[in-house]
Amino acid sequence: MSAAHPASQVRRTTPALSASGLTRRFGNVTAVDGLDLELAAGEIFGLLGPNASGKTTTIRMLASILRPSAGSAQVLGLDLVREADAIKRRIGYVAQHFALYPELTAYENLDFYSHLYGEVHPARLTELLATYGLERFRDRFAGQLSGGYKRRLSIACALSHDPELVFLDEPTAGIDPVTRKELWDLFYDLATSGKTLFVTTHYMEEAERCHQLAFLSRGKRVASGSPAELRAGLGGRAVWAFDADHDPVLMSRLRNLPAVAVVNRMGQSVRLVVEKDFPQDQLRELLAEWPGAGEPQPVRATLEDVFIALTESNS
Amino acid sequence: MTRLVLAIMKKEFLQLRRDPRLIAFILFFPVVLVLLFGLALKLEPENVRMAYVDQDPSLFSNLIKTNIWSEGYFTLYEVEDEAAIRRAIRLGEARAGLLIPRGFSAELTENAQPTVRMFVDGTMPSLATAMDNKKHAITDDAVTGDMYFLDPDADNVVIAPEPFHLDVEVLFNPDKKETWFFLPGVVGVLIMQVALILTGTAVVREKENHTLEQLIVSPLSKSGFVAGKTLPYVLIALADFYLVLALSTWLFGLPFPGSAQWPLLVLALLYVGGLIALGLAISTISQTQQQAIFLSIFFLIPSILLSGFIFPVEAMPSYVQPIAWVLPFTYFIEVIRGLLLKGNGIADLYPHYLALLGFAAGFIALSIARFRRYLD
Repeated sequence: MSAAHPASQVRRTTPALSASGLTRRFGNVTAVDGLDLELAAGEIFGLLGPNASGKTTTIRMLASILRPSAGSAQVLGLDLVREADAIKRRIGYVAQHFALYPELTAYENLDFYSHLYGEVHPARLTELLATYGLERFRDRFAGQLSGGYKRRLSIACALSHDPELVFLDEPTAGIDPVTRKELWDLFYDLATSGKTLFVTTHYMEEAERCHQLAFLSRGKRVASGSPAELRAGLGGRAVWAFDADHDPVLMSRLRNLPAVAVVNRMGQSVRLVVEKDFPQDQLRELLAEWPGAGEPQPVRATLEDVFIALTESNS
Repeated sequence: MTRLVLAIMKKEFLQLRRDPRLIAFILFFPVVLVLLFGLALKLEPENVRMAYVDQDPSLFSNLIKTNIWSEGYFTLYEVEDEAAIRRAIRLGEARAGLLIPRGFSAELTENAQPTVRMFVDGTMPSLATAMDNKKHAITDDAVTGDMYFLDPDADNVVIAPEPFHLDVEVLFNPDKKETWFFLPGVVGVLIMQVALILTGTAVVREKENHTLEQLIVSPLSKSGFVAGKTLPYVLIALADFYLVLALSTWLFGLPFPGSAQWPLLVLALLYVGGLIALGLAISTISQTQQQAIFLSIFFLIPSILLSGFIFPVEAMPSYVQPIAWVLPFTYFIEVIRGLLLKGNGIADLYPHYLALLGFAAGFIALSIARFRRYLD
């Protein structure tokens, strides 16, 4: 699945980031295994995958926090290992955990982090606080902020030096939909101003918002493309849906049907991810035994269908 | 209720069991302490080095010397003159001195009751007090009794009930004030606490806060990080150093000779620098603040007990003494007592200064080597 995103084609000549064969081992465990990636400047790239698929390890390697065991990468045209110092000045990194000093105020945290990168103008910090909706909490201790505002502050701290490439590790985990939307509006503003964003996530709402996605499973890239391409692709599979009351027997019978990859209940509806040669008649026969079961219909795949299908077929 | 308590207890034990380092400390610590207290510590000094001058070598003076030696209390070695005795005590080469004056045997046999002089280092009041109690060792009946028989000239029989006088001179700290003995050491203990506990938890706290990752991702250099993390504690430790000294001088009259000003600053910088670096090394080795604190205490207790802070190093069994010489505090104690109580200068104490410099350099190298710019 090659990228068809217009931005990536225009800027193909100068990728913001490209990795080839990137590998990281911890003892006997290979967390990331021969990963190839390419990010165009100005795009929001999403690295998608279940827990423990190697997302955080990947982002840490690319942000020069962990050394790769093998492979190479160019970040903003610089060599990941040899030119780490130059890279560090030009990237921002928002970790999964809040990296804040709880006994410092919001402003003091921001002031500290921005000083790590050189000269700081108070006006710029005040502007950042405003951008992230933190003016009211300027003098509040970071430890006393709510989860959402801690997240805003973490992002503001990581962006205080105006980096060209920003790594965000699960940036809106544990955050309400309104705050998530507000933060994503800010991410789009950043991308529009020419910055490149590298996001890891396992939230579908978040994945849908990315320009490009790569799907990671057990440290390997198993699919990539725009959200639409991933939904449409699904590796030649299709999604069928019907209404039915919940019944464990029905679920297990469905799982045992030939060519059914995933059985997923969403409220009153049951969704099946099926192979090309899926025998529709057998499904209809089976459903006839269950009173109240609706007529199965082919439906448009969601990213969640894709996510579950890719995760299950690779585990 | 009981069930609930048991459930929480079980969980606590499970958590502890998953921290093998902490378990090692918890089990290892009592063993080491028992061995230290049981084997190493003796309030009664032995093998104390005594410099002697025998200006009248004779059967009588030999009798005094052999008797002192056989008590097991002193190890004798010969020096030139009285000035050499005083110098040896000032430099800490000897803790005591003995002077048998010219014409001692003649006066003795003439019943003129000659005077034997002893010197003792007053910066160790316990030693000085013990020596007061022990001085009868050379005037007791065994010695004087022998003297009656040893007289080679039958015409001059030693008959005085007390054949000679003993004059003990306490050098430095003549009042044998124990506060003067302890206060300079308290400075060092305090610095150890500040340096090891504060610095020891400083880097671990960044790990636990997840802020270390954010620092690693910044362009901050290794030396920049190390300097920025440690200098505040260096300043705090230096402030404490002078605060304790000021209080000791003001409240307890601890001497503070003007000449000690600069040598003391050098001492403070070397000692504080070394210990802060050790604290940083502990911090990079430890995974949790608990581990860091345990490691620090593990270093603190032997330092307090085995450094000469409370008990003279010479009094410890010879197989424990090497421990004292690998503790920076041992050298610190020797230097600060020398500077404040004996009026020594850097020139007198340079081997100890060199040792402290070595520790500082070693600990700084260790902490820099241990500090990683990557999480792995």
